[in-house]
Amino acid sequence: MECRVLSIQSHVVRGYVGNKSASFPLQVLGFEVDSINSVQFSNHTGYSHWKGQVLTADELHVLYEGIKLNNVHQYDYVLTGYTRDTSFLEMVVDIVQELKRANPNLVYVCDPVLGDHGSMYVPQNLYPVYKNKVVPVADIITPNQFEADLRISLTDSLLGDRFLVSLGSQRQVRPDGSRATQRVRIEVPKVDAVFVGTGDLFAAMLLAWTHHYPNDLKMACEKTFSVMHHVIQRTISYAHELAGPGRRPSPPQLELRMVQSKADIEDPAIVTEATVIS
Amino acid sequence: MECRVLSIQSHVVRGYVGNKSATFPLQVLGFEVDSINSVQFSNHTGYAHWKGQVLTADELNVLYEGIKLNKVNHYDYILTGYSRDTSFLETVVDIIQELKKANPSLVYVCDPVMGDHGAMYVPENLLPVYRDKVVPLADILTPNQFEAELLTGRKVNTQEDAFEVMDLLHKMGPETVVLTSSDLPSKKGDQFLVALGSQKIVKPDGSKTSQKICMDIPKVDAVFVGTGDLFAAMLLAWTHHHPKDLKAACEKTVSVMHHVIKRTITYANEMAGPGKRPSPAQLELRMVQSKADIENPAIVVEAKVLHKSSQ
Repeated sequence: MECRVLSIQSHVVRGYVGNKSASFPLQVLGFEVDSINSVQFSNHTGYSHWKGQVLTADELHVLYEGIKLNNVHQYDYVLTGYTRDTSFLEMVVDIVQELKRANPNLVYVCDPVLGDHGSMYVPQNLYPVYKNKVVPVADIITPNQFEADLRISLTDSLLGDRFLVSLGSQRQVRPDGSRATQRVRIEVPKVDAVFVGTGDLFAAMLLAWTHHYPNDLKMACEKTFSVMHHVIQRTISYAHELAGPGRRPSPPQLELRMVQSKADIEDPAIVTEATVIS
Repeated sequence: MECRVLSIQSHVVRGYVGNKSATFPLQVLGFEVDSINSVQFSNHTGYAHWKGQVLTADELNVLYEGIKLNKVNHYDYILTGYSRDTSFLETVVDIIQELKKANPSLVYVCDPVMGDHGAMYVPENLLPVYRDKVVPLADILTPNQFEAELLTGRKVNTQEDAFEVMDLLHKMGPETVVLTSSDLPSKKGDQFLVALGSQKIVKPDGSKTSQKICMDIPKVDAVFVGTGDLFAAMLLAWTHHHPKDLKAACEKTVSVMHHVIKRTITYANEMAGPGKRPSPAQLELRMVQSKADIENPAIVVEAKVLHKSSQ
């Protein structure tokens, strides 16, 4: 498989968010991953302390220029996630547009990270950039309910309140040329902990599994959600071991058990079934 | 296996040098890798063009402070490679000293990158920093012949000279020294280069000696970048699994190198086409494609144990 991804995300020295969360699993699945680190922090911002440096929009442009000057700006996928800066995001859009001109088959996987549970955790002025500039160039997006801006409340899970519901929708072209939309629904078991980096892992794995199943969103989602399940289970078990009985694990203890989950990443046992709705 | 490595090396957006070369193989082998990127460049400096930004010594300190404030500054290994800046290197030394105080069993794997084939390709003022501050802290050192000569001030013309130089390096600090390449003549002919290793051991009776090994490595007609970084990372991994058996550790390490390089040169020649020399972009290591070889390298080179002891 000869497939090259450009991933523009955060780098943390310790732990698994952004590029740290996306690169290893994609590489393990055989993807070439070129990574532009939008920041370099000691660790994610859920720890008591965090320190580091951010990349400016100009510096991002300089790095891209280097790639372009060498004529190696051919990518099959672009992957982006958490950003806090509108000019950086706008530079990302310019780059994606240029890369799509260089390869019209390029697939842009975009996690439009804005917030969760009813509130934004990035500056508000990112919202119009995502809505008007970013999402129009995206091919796959992975919003949560808040980011998708749904005006209706989602149905409860049929399996009870220890599950959450995920929905997927894919526009397809049938063999006879007519268009259809495949909609899927997945019931996902909740876990009583706050994980960081799981959204980044999800987007990366959805990239990988839609690559292998480009017209079968049900299958791609089952694989992706199954990988998430295995990594999260392993992580929460280990975190509880480290924390000790009756104690809530700390952010360092809750870092994803990524390298330990290599086998599950390579070949995830399917543990959740996606239902095709229409 | 619960083993955490702090690797302070370059990051390139595209390709496999520095942290890009070291991280994936170590992770594939189950190591937790914390990585501080000393630079972020579009690609390595052997391409026609390269662009990017460097981390200052102060910024390095700030990142380390973050790790320390969270009390997660506990590492089993540190790994460093190519550096161009004396103040950066000196900050690395301070960090290592502090990490060794936090964990006295910490193993520092150091590639003292300064040059090759008789010429330096870093600023000259790095030599005294390596010689006087870095190498004394190192536990495992992977110089090439030129770097070993620079550090000890001695020329290597024969295998005996190489042994003396490695013993001098032991006295400076590291218990394990691998001369990753030399221009000593190989018994297998001029299609091979000679690599040597030396590890200090304590015998059952308490006396100290060193085990010396020798390997004949097939030469490949191409310029690879990032192979030294992969070598140091894999030597870290395999000495971890074979801490008192330098022969086994080196056979695994050199074998991984062989598989990755062969896969790379085959692919590069395919990409370039018949009769054409591959470009730097085409010669990037086939790292992700070599996952199985990294996990479990078939041994393709035998290291000979040379019977010579020294105090």
